[in-house]
Amino acid sequence: MKHSILASTLMLTLATPALADDITVGFAIAKSGWMEAYDSPAATAAKIRIDEINAGGGLLGQKVKWVEVDTKTDRAQSAKAGLQVLDEGADMMVVSCDYDFGAPAALAAESAGKNSFFLCAEDVKAGIQGVGPNSFSGSVLAAVQGATMAEWSQAAREAKTGYVLLDTTIEYNKGICTGFDWMFPKAGGEIIGRDTFKNNDASIASQISRIKALPQEPDVIMLCSYIPGAAAAVRQLRAAGITSLILNGSAVDGSYWLDAVPDLSGFVLPVQGSIYGDDPRAEVESFNQAYEATTGARPASQYAYPGYILIDLWAKAVERAGSVEGAAVTAELEKMQGEATAFGPRSFSDMLHHQNSAKMQIIEIADAKPGVVGDWTISEPVPLDVLLK
Amino acid sequence: MSSAVQLFFDAASLGGIYAMAALGIALIFGVMNLVNFAHGEYIAFCVFALIVPSTEAVAVMFLGKAPAILLIPILLAIGGAAAVASEYVVFRHMRKATPVAMMISSFALGFIIQNALLAVYGGRPKAISLWPDLNTPIALAGAQLPLLQLIVILTTLVVVCALALLLKKTRLGLEMRAAAENFTMARLLGVRANVVITGAFALSGALAAAVALIMATQTGVADVRMGGQIMLVAFIATVIGGLGSLPGAVAAGFLIGAASILLQGFLPLEVRPFRDAFLYTLVIICLLARPQGLFVPSSAKPRI
Repeated sequence: MKHSILASTLMLTLATPALADDITVGFAIAKSGWMEAYDSPAATAAKIRIDEINAGGGLLGQKVKWVEVDTKTDRAQSAKAGLQVLDEGADMMVVSCDYDFGAPAALAAESAGKNSFFLCAEDVKAGIQGVGPNSFSGSVLAAVQGATMAEWSQAAREAKTGYVLLDTTIEYNKGICTGFDWMFPKAGGEIIGRDTFKNNDASIASQISRIKALPQEPDVIMLCSYIPGAAAAVRQLRAAGITSLILNGSAVDGSYWLDAVPDLSGFVLPVQGSIYGDDPRAEVESFNQAYEATTGARPASQYAYPGYILIDLWAKAVERAGSVEGAAVTAELEKMQGEATAFGPRSFSDMLHHQNSAKMQIIEIADAKPGVVGDWTISEPVPLDVLLK
Repeated sequence: MSSAVQLFFDAASLGGIYAMAALGIALIFGVMNLVNFAHGEYIAFCVFALIVPSTEAVAVMFLGKAPAILLIPILLAIGGAAAVASEYVVFRHMRKATPVAMMISSFALGFIIQNALLAVYGGRPKAISLWPDLNTPIALAGAQLPLLQLIVILTTLVVVCALALLLKKTRLGLEMRAAAENFTMARLLGVRANVVITGAFALSGALAAAVALIMATQTGVADVRMGGQIMLVAFIATVIGGLGSLPGAVAAGFLIGAASILLQGFLPLEVRPFRDAFLYTLVIICLLARPQGLFVPSSAKPRI
């Protein structure tokens, strides 16, 4: 008798926390190492959305809290961090921006049947194709960024000829160029040459000589790269007297690197929202202000936004599913078609947990000043076979 | 014709950067058999010395604001001081250690410098606006090139000549050459080991600072990982050149720069992303043909 009382008391004490427990979001992200600069802004944005949800009464009537473990920008640590946030009771997991650094943690979530969201991965592998059926990304695929540049440059700037300069260092870059290669000829342009380089090349003089040897300067140069290599490449391109419009992916967003190329003009990139205070949507600017109130500074690039978006979408799916159980939430997420967010509509399907089309703001840098010059949604979503190329 | 001239300038300017970095490594190897893998981190350190320490995304110029006439000697001194300090703190205590132990500790030192930079400046690359005027294109012998490329080539020539003079004409140079030939014998004959080694580190650090200035002007960015690639190429150049041979390091630096430019220029597009694989294949062939290096110092040959 005594034992059974003890047992039932134990059962109760063990079971009670699970019943009245809060919903826990586990962040397995880089809080140190070079990846920290990319993970922290998006994670901060995610926490801003969590705070908003809690202020609005929580999720399924419960408070949302979060736990956090540092991956130290290390793949092996990422797997450990994933297991640790699960141990600390995470109901869903937010992992590093980059596929390579986020995937080990995301796989831990996947095998526990939980949802995982990459903070800002833009490679198709960061989802069903690479991690598994419960994994998503909060960002827009790299190929969409390249395709947006291809179609916009022809529609808005009458570009006829394009040149592709691919930095082969990471998959993201290849994704942008794949999207550009798919869309630019389809929209009526001609790609007149292509070349490759590496992000840490000390000089791209040889690549520049090849462009200069063309009978005619291309209308646009699609530069598929990221900072610092992209800034170094642009500095050298302009130093060589090449004046073509330079197109980029979202990775070069932010004015922090502009000193590298004084008086830069004719430089265009697509973003999910503008950090410069000129986004036509009031929600974007009010997020920028909320971010500034939290951290003391405005977002340094658009890569804060996906963190906000992913918590927003996940929370909506949890409300609809009435549970945080991985498969149930996934099913609700996959039903989303053109789901409204502060940064434009988002869609998922049972084939793709990514955006293969999105309304992007076009930022142009003219006289070293970045600003929105319009927006563009590609006329046709990037097909899966192009994404998997 | 014009494209051949263009290729020459492209190759010579890239080779010049590699040659200067290789020289910095070869100098230290010559006097104490240490392959200093922290050399790339000296370069990054010098680049970051140009901006105000802060983890803010937007970089504010610090030393970089000084006029060139002050900036160049100050930065060379900072590079030299950093290298001398690392000798004093780390390598001086390892004089009797094996070359492998010293190499490992140089890796550790590089790791510490890199992480210190990461802690102070944050992980995001920073923009540096240093002498943007040097990037104006000029026409020369039918080729178009940024002024900086020409300056790099000339600087390399000046540095190499100055170093050659220093080694041939000064007492320190004589002692360094003697130490490179046979360190124990040189000490027995009254060569001051500490002076020679400190001198080699100071010169090596100043060379790293020179590379840093060129890199900062050319790319306009500072990144904590920027030294790694150059360090690797420079190390390979010192090996191909014959470890310990200063002219060999310079020649091999230029050779690797030229090979890299030629591969980038003439490889078909499909295999161009694997440029470095081809480059390192050439390195392996080189080492198979001449394992002792292309330009072997007489000290490396067995005497009996």
